[in-house]
Amino acid sequence: MEFLRNPRFDFLGKTRYFVTASVVLILAGIAWMARPGGLRYGVEFSGGTQLVVKFEKTPEVDKIRAAVESAAPGAVIQTYDEPTKNQVLIRIAGVGEDELGALAEKVLQALRDGYAANLLKEHSAEIVGPVVGAELRQKAIQLTVLGLLFQLIYIGIRFGGAVWGSAATIAAFHDVLISLGFLAFFGFEITLNVIAALLTLVGYSVNDTIVIFDRARENLRQRRKDSLATIINDSVNQTLTRTLISNGTTFLAVLGLFLFGGEVLRGFGFTMVIGIVVGTYSTIYIASPIVVWWQERGRKGTGASTTTSRAAL
Amino acid sequence: MGAGLDNPFVLWFVLTAALAGLAYAGIRTELRVRATLYGSFLIACGVALWPPYDQVGKPGKIRLGLDLRGGIHLVLQVVTDDALNATVDDAVQTTREQLQRKAIVFRDVQRADAQSFRLEGVEPARVKDARDVLKDFFREWEVREAAEGRFTVQMGEPFARSIRERTVKEAIKTLERRVNQLGVAEPVIAEHGNRGDQILVQLPGVTDPEQAKRVISKTAQLALKLVQGETAPTRDALLQAHGGRVPDNMELVEGAGDQPGQPVFYLVRREAVITGRDLKTARVGVDENNQPDVQFSLNPAGADRFKRATGANVGRRLAIILDGRVESAPTIQNQIGAEGRIMGRYTTQEADELAKILRAGALPATLKYLQELTVGASLGRDSIRSGVAASAAGMAFITLFMLAYYRMSGVNAVVALAANLLILMGAMAYSGATLTLPGIAGVILTIGVGVDTNVLVFERIREELRNGKGVRVAVNNGFERVWITILDTHATALIAAAFLFQFGTGPIKGFAVTLVMGLIANVFASYFVSKFLFEWVLGKRQHQTLSI
Repeated sequence: MEFLRNPRFDFLGKTRYFVTASVVLILAGIAWMARPGGLRYGVEFSGGTQLVVKFEKTPEVDKIRAAVESAAPGAVIQTYDEPTKNQVLIRIAGVGEDELGALAEKVLQALRDGYAANLLKEHSAEIVGPVVGAELRQKAIQLTVLGLLFQLIYIGIRFGGAVWGSAATIAAFHDVLISLGFLAFFGFEITLNVIAALLTLVGYSVNDTIVIFDRARENLRQRRKDSLATIINDSVNQTLTRTLISNGTTFLAVLGLFLFGGEVLRGFGFTMVIGIVVGTYSTIYIASPIVVWWQERGRKGTGASTTTSRAAL
Repeated sequence: MGAGLDNPFVLWFVLTAALAGLAYAGIRTELRVRATLYGSFLIACGVALWPPYDQVGKPGKIRLGLDLRGGIHLVLQVVTDDALNATVDDAVQTTREQLQRKAIVFRDVQRADAQSFRLEGVEPARVKDARDVLKDFFREWEVREAAEGRFTVQMGEPFARSIRERTVKEAIKTLERRVNQLGVAEPVIAEHGNRGDQILVQLPGVTDPEQAKRVISKTAQLALKLVQGETAPTRDALLQAHGGRVPDNMELVEGAGDQPGQPVFYLVRREAVITGRDLKTARVGVDENNQPDVQFSLNPAGADRFKRATGANVGRRLAIILDGRVESAPTIQNQIGAEGRIMGRYTTQEADELAKILRAGALPATLKYLQELTVGASLGRDSIRSGVAASAAGMAFITLFMLAYYRMSGVNAVVALAANLLILMGAMAYSGATLTLPGIAGVILTIGVGVDTNVLVFERIREELRNGKGVRVAVNNGFERVWITILDTHATALIAAAFLFQFGTGPIKGFAVTLVMGLIANVFASYFVSKFLFEWVLGKRQHQTLSI
């Protein structure tokens, strides 16, 4: 079986439209995130109390709300995971005045007293004090940026030039921004798992870019006459089948994670699903054009020939 | 069997060495050596892994994280200022005693903040003597003289730091003893973060998180102090009875009254007759009214002091203070020796918990909860089920696709994938790494990376074949040409994983660990094992075609 035999698409010729689309998408995402409540943080970052309560029988959300309201006004209550599991998620902004967990205890007690008709079987709790939340938020941003920086350095060293590393990094950054926009738009919370997915995504995006760049490097050595644009376009074509199959299978695997991985992994799965698609796209339409554009600009600026600027790569 | 040979990796190493020896002795085909090497390594992984999950009488080799098996994860902050305060209080006490012993008159000595105290109004004629006393007793402190006869004594920073560090270490030891009392298997109690004052406590499989939290966080500083005068229902009333201020060497403590919700205030001597440190042991008992209480016995030094104090104060009340609250204040009927009891209208469970805590000893400082994560056991089981379902779905799909698209070479890819997973799980079992729910996601991503490596190679082989190369040359070139790419892609993925690892503990660390091990296993399985499989198939007969 073979999907494509010797594809010869002109990818780089249509760069303009795709870059415009990306910029529009990113700006729209940023605008959406900038709205109040546009980007919601999970309990580990925002601090607060999150309970998942498992009941014996089908829980009635309005009765639960009535019972919880006295202990924690303004709590968010929603069914959690599949309805057959009889689970309800209760999200409260605070953690308890004197002691972390006091509020959770109060809510659970209120449920036992005020909703005694339906026995509370088991619960999970995630309670994060404000200090830890702020520390973690800072750490997440720091680690994502550092992770990108180190990958940039690695690629820079491996390819002997800042262009390649920068292009791969810009593409990865592009992927993170677009994924964040999608997460915000579809109302997913930024949890630790989502951050893990974003960092993995950075790895994947860079990985994908490297495959094409490696091919371009190989072609550059063999075909000294062709222009860089032609060579990169050919490299994209040569690795296209691999791109489709690898990313297609990974896409389906993470789609499985999104669909069957349960509530805890839903955000993770979603981020990866979006990320794999965007990562594939950005390698072709963001990373590759940047390298070509950079080289051509360099040639115009210094007046050097293609061959010398290529030799510097 | 000799030492270490029951260890699968040692066994593998020995076998490998033996094989290398045989190869040297003249086995002709290089292929056969590799077959045995790879085979024995995979067998070792299988041995390390078996049995992967819990079976009757045999615990599973894969350690499951709290999010999968249920349990409680706490991050606590040690309020190290407590320990500094106590140290300064001791210093104030020492200063007062020493000055009085030398008959130096002064107006006041008291704690200024967590790291310093002030001595004021020293009689002019004896300032030099006072200075000598301070310099003598507080060598690790800085003695400053603001004015004639006014001293500020400040704890040196290294000294303060050593107290903080010691406090955290002591707290960890105390927590270990307490968790032991709870009977939790495989608990984790360790320093956390890089601020130096946080402790991580992980209690897998704990079914009653509330009890665990009570037992862990109770400071349990026990002090028996003599009550001065009468009690009063409010703080102000008590103060009025003593002229509006708390007298020197006394302090005000609250306790529960006869009626629920009605406090009673006590004035007690600041100096304790005995403290928790003097306890030898504590156990649950019942008093005359069949009420549960906690009975304790004292070590010889404590018993001696207790005997003297009770003997000299018959008829007065003795307040039993736990964490700054009066639990009870019985009247001393007669001289008591090495035994005592704490009565506080406890339920049997409360008395039992208190006895456990007292046995384990007091915490050197208050603990504050920063983060709590509790996972119910059945909710954890649900997570395992969905994680396994998702990986099985991914695995099944990829297997079918690879077989359909690459035919016989697809078999090769699937074998490499299985080897990859076996190595990953074997390495996790062997190293005792924890599998978390995000870790399962990491396994799925590993499958993805494995497929990518295979696809990279296969597509390159196809390309070479299209360019008219022979089968053997095509396979060789295919593997050779993508080697650099595979190195680069794995290195960048490892960089990302390394930063994930920095998140410290919990599920995300599990994800990073799984990812790192998966990436390394993949280079071996999808490149070397796969390459071997190709050469093995091609080596059997003269192939003109390759099913790819």
